[in-house]
Amino acid sequence: MTGPLNATVAAPELLVLATSAALFAIGVTGLLLRRNPMAVLMSIEIMLNAGNLVLVLAARARGMVDGHTGALLVLVLGAAEAVIGLALALAFFRDRPAADVDTQGEVHG
Amino acid sequence: MAERMVPLGIACAVALLTALGVVVVRRPVHCAFLLLLHSLSLAALYLGLSADFVAMGQITIYSGAIVVLFLFVVLLLPEAGRERPAGAGRVLLALGGGAVILAALLEPMLALSGSGEPPAAPPDPGFSVAGLARSLFGPQLVPFELTAVLLFVAIIGGVALWNRRPAEPSR
Repeated sequence: MTGPLNATVAAPELLVLATSAALFAIGVTGLLLRRNPMAVLMSIEIMLNAGNLVLVLAARARGMVDGHTGALLVLVLGAAEAVIGLALALAFFRDRPAADVDTQGEVHG
Repeated sequence: MAERMVPLGIACAVALLTALGVVVVRRPVHCAFLLLLHSLSLAALYLGLSADFVAMGQITIYSGAIVVLFLFVVLLLPEAGRERPAGAGRVLLALGGGAVILAALLEPMLALSGSGEPPAAPPDPGFSVAGLARSLFGPQLVPFELTAVLLFVAIIGGVALWNRRPAEPSR
């Protein structure tokens, strides 16, 4: 993947651009691969981060600060998404018999 | 140029490897720790792209709050949310989907890299927090204020999702 890109590596921006594309593809792969809601959420977070990286890179390349603003807004979006997603995951796992968090010995890695 | 290339390359490599780890590793606890590393490497990338404030936001909000929240929820899950291994069909579907997305994203980039002389590296714009604030409270004011509504709705949604269940199944 980096082979042809290294030919005109004049811009480190190109490396970051390719990285963000690869990150997004990795996120999509995880989204399709995993069945654990936590892992699915983490894949979505990776995709959000890939988009954020492009925003910051565009701000750097264009010399405009608006990309940073967008990145901060996406950060807030990620926080809101994590709240809803984690609440969904907990509600999903609550039906399982072992999901009682008040029982001792449940909180383990 | 070269002195920018090395740290950016290292941060890119770490970000890619940890992202792969998040997707591949089976135990969610390890996934959460890898996500933490991933977030920190992205913060390093932002620093390399002279986005200091976004890097600090990434560290404090993302690594400090979101990923740690993930860790807590993983520890609350039964058996830490361990999952069965995916079947071959699922793996093939995931790899195919990822490959399609990667090809679709990389194709215009390759065209961009092959065109003519290498573009001159842009000068360091020297972003300041004051400039960011002028953008945030100027042209971007409406989206910025809407994030307050978004967070409020998210909080209400989280509480509603958590409180709905126990009322009914008691009988």
